[in-house]
Amino acid sequence: MNREEILRAQEKSLAHLRSVYREDAETVIADARYGFISGLLTEAMRKPAIERRTISDLIDKVLINRWLGIPIFLALLYGVFQFTFTVSVPLMDWIDEGFGWFADQATTISPEWLGSFIGDGIFGGLGSVLVFVPPIFLLFLALAFLEDCGYLARAAFVMDRLMHRIGLHGRSFIPMMLGFGCNVPAIMATRTIENPKDRLTTILINPFMSCGARLPIYILFAGAFFTAHQGLVVFSMYAMGIILAIIMGLVFRKTLLRGPSGHFVMELPPYRLPTITGLVVHMWERGKVFLVRAGTIIFAAVVLIWLLDYTGALEPIGRAIAPIFSPAGFGQWQAAVALVFGLLAKEVVIGTFGTLFTGAEELGGLGDVIGFDLGWTALIAFAFMAMTLIYVPCMAVIGTIRRETNSWKWTVFVIGYTLVLGWIVATLIYQIGSLFT
Amino acid sequence: MRMAKEITIALAGNPNSGKTTVFNNLTGARQHVGNWPGVTVEKKEGTCRYQGYAIKVVDLPGVYSFTAYSIDEVVARNFVVEEKPDAVVDIVDASNLERNLYLAVQLMEMGTRLIVALNMMDQAESRGYKIDVPQLSYLLDVPVVPMVANRNRGTQELLEEIVKMADGEVQPRKFRLDYGREVEEEIAKLEELISQDDELSQRYSPRWLAVKLLEGDEEVVKTLRATKE
Amino acid sequence: MPTKLLSELKSKEKGKIAKVGGGGSIHRRLLDMGLVSGSEIEVERVAPLGDPMQVRIKGYHLTLRKEEAANIQVEVI
Repeated sequence: MNREEILRAQEKSLAHLRSVYREDAETVIADARYGFISGLLTEAMRKPAIERRTISDLIDKVLINRWLGIPIFLALLYGVFQFTFTVSVPLMDWIDEGFGWFADQATTISPEWLGSFIGDGIFGGLGSVLVFVPPIFLLFLALAFLEDCGYLARAAFVMDRLMHRIGLHGRSFIPMMLGFGCNVPAIMATRTIENPKDRLTTILINPFMSCGARLPIYILFAGAFFTAHQGLVVFSMYAMGIILAIIMGLVFRKTLLRGPSGHFVMELPPYRLPTITGLVVHMWERGKVFLVRAGTIIFAAVVLIWLLDYTGALEPIGRAIAPIFSPAGFGQWQAAVALVFGLLAKEVVIGTFGTLFTGAEELGGLGDVIGFDLGWTALIAFAFMAMTLIYVPCMAVIGTIRRETNSWKWTVFVIGYTLVLGWIVATLIYQIGSLFT
Repeated sequence: MRMAKEITIALAGNPNSGKTTVFNNLTGARQHVGNWPGVTVEKKEGTCRYQGYAIKVVDLPGVYSFTAYSIDEVVARNFVVEEKPDAVVDIVDASNLERNLYLAVQLMEMGTRLIVALNMMDQAESRGYKIDVPQLSYLLDVPVVPMVANRNRGTQELLEEIVKMADGEVQPRKFRLDYGREVEEEIAKLEELISQDDELSQRYSPRWLAVKLLEGDEEVVKTLRATKE
Repeated sequence: MPTKLLSELKSKEKGKIAKVGGGGSIHRRLLDMGLVSGSEIEVERVAPLGDPMQVRIKGYHLTLRKEEAANIQVEVI
């Protein structure tokens, strides 16, 4: 009873105040708070008559300058990638060799199944995921630097117009760019987007940004089937991903995630030199999540796939799935198995072909063998590349989406819609392409 | 050995006020990251020991205000209002004092046991701002601790004030911002009604709730509707 | 005193906020960030692609889109 009375009294008060002030009570209250503060500060603080130009203001004169703003932004982004991948390559090799050595040692363990489990399953499988630890941690370190020094807010300022056009927010741009490195840190970086719908849309379309793990697949097939136009074909995969991201972003924003984009009333904090502790804590907090997942979900998946392989269940599974992909041209059981394995980590697609066609380990040779044994044409290879780009992101990304959206519903949705979309695009490529060849 | 007295404090503050640095200075490596229940907002907690106190430090999301429009703001204010921490430390950027104090004023209106940590004093000085700290503390009627968190200056002094507050040596005084006659009349009416509701007036400060109603706060309206008898 | 919308102000133009309109969350957000009537405001620059804009208010830098700035009336000084 009383509470209804309170709410009625609220309505009455609001109407009354609006008629008195010709303004919402909310405005009057905010004015009063700021009024109190300025009164207080006239007594407790003195500012110089003319505000001094700070170093921060001078830096902004250059960094977000009308003409230099975008080139500098792109250059910094390029720098982040260079740093991440240059520094991580030797570390990745080292991890790869380390796990490889352990795997070799383990194969001598008897009984034979145990050796295979430890060698191929645990060391082989986990190793293929853990090699991503260096790029992920370094990417986070670089990102933490940009965030903590205050540049990330500027990047959003520079890119907002473009992102707003496609229904997103300036803060969506960095996660999209990071996706070219690895979708895991990219999706985690969406945390800086305040509006939940902007953030969810950015997460849903992020897997279309071709991550580093997909590049070896593109290189393999482009090299084997498109000798003359390799670069162009690889580039077309990246472009296809960006176009799909834009289209799907617009679609989601107009259907499932309708509603206004978050506003852009944002502070540009002064530039500050980040502290080392701050950077390390920042990097560790985000990177740790990946490590934990590698130890749980991914480990379970690795064991399952090893089990299927060891018991010989893989080929029947592949044969069962393969017909689905016949309209797209790659309806062979080996391709189906490779796609299933690719869920673990996309570059495993190549590893799988490598195992299935032993003896053609070198990349160049492998592509030719696939063409010969499976009878693939350039068109089929192109459709298959599109499929590996679009279909379900890898296990690590799925786990990240689950964590970041805090929802199984959206996680399953991503798996479903990317699978369907991948199939549609691959089929269209093959069917339409077949008309011309 | 005497058992450590356990207290909980919350760190509030605007984004970019150096709140995270203060949190790191206070807790070092003893921190834990999780999520606030039911939402995807990150919750950071840590512990620190000082003068026989085991202090649990909760890092609230960085916010500019306490409206109902963003999850971060709702999470932060619900913690302050409902968990009633032993002290709330508001990290304030001294080089951007006017806007930063806007949150402090709201915390004072909520009747929290507030300590203002005046961070980035060096930045304020380099801009030529002269801040009279004792005067500020006197006018706000809360303890004010000057700090330079990224050089770990002022942490001891802050802990000192936290312990004093927890000991009851410093008692927060009732803060009342005058909104002008017309608004005050409406606040009084609503306050009166709220005070008649035992459950509400025990959970919230009636004046704070009245002000929130005048601000048209949807979260508060929702709470009132949901708990209707 | 002539009033203009903040979104119409050019780079380096200054003024005093006369009224903050808009509704719901954007209105509130503007108030919370210190865009209250009587405050001095200066347009500092416009982003490379022409939107959003950067202003100086209460001694700090704030960015907002022109569609958001159109909620604010400014007495140009």
